[in-house]
Amino acid sequence: MRWVEERTGWPSIRETLLDRKIPKPGRWGWLYTLGSATLAVFLIQVITGMLLGMNYSPSPDHAYDSIRHIMTSVPMGAFIRGLHHWGASAMIILMVLHLLRIFVMASYKQPRELTWIVGVVLLLLTFGLGFTGYLLPWDQKAYWATAVGVNISAQAPILGPLVATVFKGGQELGALTLTRFYSFHVLVLPALLALVIAIHLFLVVYHGISAPPHPKGTPPPDYLAQKAAGKSFYPYSIFKDMVMVALVVGVLVFLAWHFGAGLEDPADPNDSSYNPRPEWYFLFLFQALKLFPGHLEYLAAIVMPTLLVLILFLIPALDRSPHRHPLARPVWMMIAILGSSHIGYLSYQGFVSPLVNPRIEANPTVLQGKKLYADLHCAYCHQIRGEGSDIGPDLSITVSRRTDEWILDHFRKPAAVVPGTSMPELHLLDEEMYALIAYLRDIGGSTLYSRRVAKIFEEQCEACHKLRGRGEEVGPALDEIGNFRTASFLKSYIQNPQGINPDAAMPEFGSSLTEEDIEHLANYLAAQKGRR
Amino acid sequence: MDRRNFLKYSINGLGFLVGASLFIPAAGYFLSPIWKKEEEDWILLGDSEGVPLGKPMQVEFTQRRKDGWMTVEQRRSAWMVTKDGKDFTVFDPHCTHLGCPYRWDEGRGQFICPCHTAIFDLDGNVVSGPPPRPLDRMEAKVEAGKIWVKPVAKG
Repeated sequence: MRWVEERTGWPSIRETLLDRKIPKPGRWGWLYTLGSATLAVFLIQVITGMLLGMNYSPSPDHAYDSIRHIMTSVPMGAFIRGLHHWGASAMIILMVLHLLRIFVMASYKQPRELTWIVGVVLLLLTFGLGFTGYLLPWDQKAYWATAVGVNISAQAPILGPLVATVFKGGQELGALTLTRFYSFHVLVLPALLALVIAIHLFLVVYHGISAPPHPKGTPPPDYLAQKAAGKSFYPYSIFKDMVMVALVVGVLVFLAWHFGAGLEDPADPNDSSYNPRPEWYFLFLFQALKLFPGHLEYLAAIVMPTLLVLILFLIPALDRSPHRHPLARPVWMMIAILGSSHIGYLSYQGFVSPLVNPRIEANPTVLQGKKLYADLHCAYCHQIRGEGSDIGPDLSITVSRRTDEWILDHFRKPAAVVPGTSMPELHLLDEEMYALIAYLRDIGGSTLYSRRVAKIFEEQCEACHKLRGRGEEVGPALDEIGNFRTASFLKSYIQNPQGINPDAAMPEFGSSLTEEDIEHLANYLAAQKGRR
Repeated sequence: MDRRNFLKYSINGLGFLVGASLFIPAAGYFLSPIWKKEEEDWILLGDSEGVPLGKPMQVEFTQRRKDGWMTVEQRRSAWMVTKDGKDFTVFDPHCTHLGCPYRWDEGRGQFICPCHTAIFDLDGNVVSGPPPRPLDRMEAKVEAGKIWVKPVAKG
C-alpha cells in the first residue's frame, strides 16, 4: 500500500480532494448535492451508452432493427436502454436544478464566474447530446423530431441553410445524417463533455465550494474563515451526495424497469399521419414557434434561444454587486422567475397541445410483418388494397378465408398446398411466418368476429351508418371502411371517437358495449372492403 | 460508533447498493452471449420417397437464420443416408478433423476427405486417418413423408 501511495502521491491528493474543508451549508446542505447527482447520472449515461453501442448499428437499414433486437432479444437490454432514456431526462432536470441553485445563491460571483460559464457550456453540450441521441433509434419520433430540429436551424439568416446541410451531411435527411449524429452523440460530444466536466470540477475544487449567501444587510463574511470553520468533504458532504445519488438511481431504476424506453414505428418519410413531437426538454422551443407568424418565426427559432444562452453566459458579468442573498437581488430574482415560469408554461402548453392526427397503436409483430412484406418484395406479385401487382391473389381479400395452419404450410411448401402455383419457396423462419400472418390478418381484418356482431351493428350502428344497403346515412357509409382503417384504430374510435377526433358527432360506445363486443365489431368493420 | 464512522459506513453501504444495482444488469447484458441458446427451426429437405437406399445423397438447402437483428440466407449442404427409407441420418458435410469438405467414393463405398485422406464408413465412423470422432450429424425427422432437418452439427 505504501509503495502505491508514495508513487501516486495519494496522501496529498486525499488532502486536496477529500479532506478539504467545506463551509457549513446550514439548512441548504441538500441543495449542494445536485451537481454530484448530475455527475453520477452522466456516468450512468456513459456506461449504459457503451453497452448499447455493443448492439447498435448506425445505418437506416439496421438502426431500428438493432434497437428492437436490444429491446426484445438481449437480456437486460430493455432495462439498459430504459436507464439511458430516463437518464437523459434526469441529467437535464438535475442540471437545471443545479443551475437554479447556483443562481438563487449567486454562487457565480467573484471568483467563480468562470465556473458558471463552463457550467453553461456543459448545459449546451448536454442538450446537444439529447438532440443527437434521439435520432439514433430511427423510429418515427427520431426521424420527425430531427427533421423539425434541423429545419429550425435552416431558418437562421444567411448561414442557416448551410448549417442545416452540414448537420444533415447532405441535402436530405438520411444515412449520412444518422452516421453524423451517431459520431456526435458517441464520440465528439461525450469527449468534449468529459473534458469540460474536468475543467468545471477543477475550478470547483480550486475555488472551494461557495458558502451559503449571507443575509440581506449584513457585510460579506470572510470566505477563508468560513471554510476553516467547516467540516471536511469526506465523509460529511459525500454522505449527502451519496444519499442523493442513491435516491436518483433508485428513481431511474424504477422508471427504467417499469416504463422502459419507447420505440415507435420505423421512420417513414412518407407518413402524413404522424404527430411529430420533440423530447420534453425541447417542448418550450417547439411551442414558441406556434406563437410567431411565418416571417417572424426566426425570432422564436433562432433569436430568442440565442439571447437566452447569451444572457446565461453574461450573468456573472452583469450581476457584479457583492449581494448574494436572493432577497438582496430582487431584480435578478424577478427576471429568473419570469424567465423560468415562461419556459415552464410554454413546455406545459406544448405538452397538453392536442395531437392533430389520430394516434394508431401498432402491434410490433404486425410491424415486423409489414417490413418483411416489403423486404421480400411480395408486392411484385401480390396486391393489398390495390397496391402491387396482380400476378398472385389479392391478399387483402383472400387471407381471411384461410386458417393459420393452411398459410403456414403454404409458406413452407407452396407447391404442395396449391399444385402448380408460381409462389416461390421463401425459406422463412417460423417467427417470420407468424409475423407475416399477423400483418396479413391485420390488413385483411381478422376472422375473429362473432355472429352477435351483426346484431350489435343492427341495434347500435344502423341508426346512423349504412352498410350493405341497410341503415341510415347520417354518418359515413361503412362498406369500404376496411380499406382505410385497421381494426385497432376502429376499436379505439368506437370506444371514444372524441379522443381521436374532438369534432366527431358520433357518441362513444366504450361505456355501453363490452370491450370484447367492440373488438369484434371493429374486426367486422375492418373486414368490410367493398364489393368487388 | 461516532458520527464520522457512521457516515463512512453509510457511504460504503450506499455505494455498494448503487454499484450493485447498476453492475448486475450491466454484467448480465455484457455477458449474455455466454448463455444464449441458438434455436434453429426445422428445415424441409424434401420427400422421403425416392431416396436411394444404402447410398449417401448430397442434399442442398437454404437456411434462413437470425444473425443478431438481421436475418441472413445461407446455402448449405449435407449428406443424407437411409438404409430402410424410414430412418434418415444426415451428416454435416465437413470432416471432423479440420473441417475440409469430404465426398462419397462410389467405388469404395466410403467417405473420403481430400485434405488428410481420412476415411469414414456409411455410418460415419472413422475407418482410418486423423479425425478424432465420427462424422457430425444433424438432427433429422420424418413426418408425413417429408424429411426435416435441424441445421446444427452435433458431435
